[in-house]
Amino acid sequence: MQSSARTGGTTRSLIRHCGIALFFLVAAFVPTLLLQRLFPYPFLFLFFGAVMASAWFGGKAAGLLAVVLSTVLVDYFFVPPFYSFSISTTAEAYFAAFVASALVASWISSAKKKSEEALKDALDQLEVRVSERTAELMKTQTELAHLSQVLSMGELTASIAHEINQPLTAVVTHGHACSEWLSANPPNLEKAQQTVQRIIQDGTRAGAVLARIRSLFKKEAPAKDWLDINEVIHELTTFLRDDAIRRRIAIRTDLVPGLPKVTADRVQLQQVVLNLMMNGMDAMAETSDRSKELLISARGDESELVVRVEDSGMGLDAEANEKIFDPFFTTKPHGIGMGLSISRSIIEAHEGRLWASPRPSGGAIFQFTLPVHPRDSNG
Amino acid sequence: MADARPTIFVVDDDASVRDAISNLLESVGLRAKVFDSTEAFWKAPRPSAPSCLVLDVRLPGVGGLEFQEQLAKANVSIPVIFITAHGDVPMTSRAMKAGAIEFLMKPFQKEDLLAAVRQGLDRDRIRRDEQAEIAVLQARVDQLTSREREVMDLVVTGLINKEIGAQLGLSEVTVKAHRSHVMQKMEASSLAELVRMSDKLKPRERR
Repeated sequence: MQSSARTGGTTRSLIRHCGIALFFLVAAFVPTLLLQRLFPYPFLFLFFGAVMASAWFGGKAAGLLAVVLSTVLVDYFFVPPFYSFSISTTAEAYFAAFVASALVASWISSAKKKSEEALKDALDQLEVRVSERTAELMKTQTELAHLSQVLSMGELTASIAHEINQPLTAVVTHGHACSEWLSANPPNLEKAQQTVQRIIQDGTRAGAVLARIRSLFKKEAPAKDWLDINEVIHELTTFLRDDAIRRRIAIRTDLVPGLPKVTADRVQLQQVVLNLMMNGMDAMAETSDRSKELLISARGDESELVVRVEDSGMGLDAEANEKIFDPFFTTKPHGIGMGLSISRSIIEAHEGRLWASPRPSGGAIFQFTLPVHPRDSNG
Repeated sequence: MADARPTIFVVDDDASVRDAISNLLESVGLRAKVFDSTEAFWKAPRPSAPSCLVLDVRLPGVGGLEFQEQLAKANVSIPVIFITAHGDVPMTSRAMKAGAIEFLMKPFQKEDLLAAVRQGLDRDRIRRDEQAEIAVLQARVDQLTSREREVMDLVVTGLINKEIGAQLGLSEVTVKAHRSHVMQKMEASSLAELVRMSDKLKPRERR
């Protein structure tokens, strides 16, 4: 800081140093002149104060300047013979002691000031680092919150399963009860009739749950963000990197820079890409005869974007190829079968298409399109 | 004892599931009482008839597994049958270790639920019978004098009158008189029966 001030305005800083030194010296000189009459010896202590104050507020240069000036003043006014620059032999040692003391005072004061400033600087730097780190953490936290939103898809499917399972349980249980009422002797037709009514109600309720889920993705207009698909893909590959390494899968991306941005719901789009990537990785769990590779590519022109997720996994047979997008169809041992169905709903809500095809060298390709609208059409 | 018909309590937060279970139990001649939360069941009066509890795991407020612990802490011994839509192994083993009769996945089959309910009711009936018997015996013991009780404690260990007399500082004749009073008051027809009674009482008498 000091060096920059020095190079920035040498003259200005020189004037400042002189000013400070002069100010304190005058402040010391006038009272000393007045006090001189009261003491048999020259009263020089105030000059030490002036030197120290100059060194403190003006730095080493001002301190030294104050030493020089006070030496001159003391020599002229307060060392015999008075009002002359010559020094009597008896006063030589006295004068030398004054100069030495003033130098020491100046040096101590400026050194002290310097160390204090260094401390203050360190403190400031620490504060800056703390606030930088806090900002970083807050950013991470926002990212995490966002991620958990994406991952809540798993929870969503679990809660859908629960919502359907309840009326289903009621239907099965009522069915058993109904058969009991009918097989009683004599059959209790009234109760059986009531039970059938409830079965109809509960079955209808299960249907309503599904309709509600579909409407969630289809009818509601997605929140529109103006987003860069490459960024979305990049975020997700970063997110899945550790998992991929653990599963010995190489994730590669083939992205064309500067693709047109699309208006889409960021979270929903992340869900789709994440779902396709996870599916691809799951499909390669059993792959051992070739390298496990997940390739995500994005291409586009002025009318639409095409995003492809290719895996070298077990691929799709003809039957699965038709059904994978049906709700509750799954090839995974613990899958719920909602991922692709929801993904397709999301892409269709964005006026795009999502489809699957076999990869010529083994594995599967999932790709979706998103329309590119001119920027001004985005409200 | 006015109402001795067994009752099955059903706690599930889903009205249609509660309703269906109640309907099924009713169709096989069992009586069901339904509640939408463990709190509601806890507040309701419990009859003196044999009963068991069909309990959903995921409930608003106090969940099924916690409630099972709460019951155990409060010394309420009602057999519990869990029903759940998404159970896993740790959940099941926790419930079974805490004494659950059965852990059923929704949707469950009629046979599984009814078998579990019958097992629960049987277990509760046996426990209630035992408790009633112990209460009767305890009432009889309470009629004994402290000397008679001392004599009874020694008689059931297999000592003869002479040895009992020596231990308590009584004459053989006096011991004999106490002993016959004990047999009368306890309504025991033989020494073997008295020993059996004493065994049943043991965990409570020696508290």
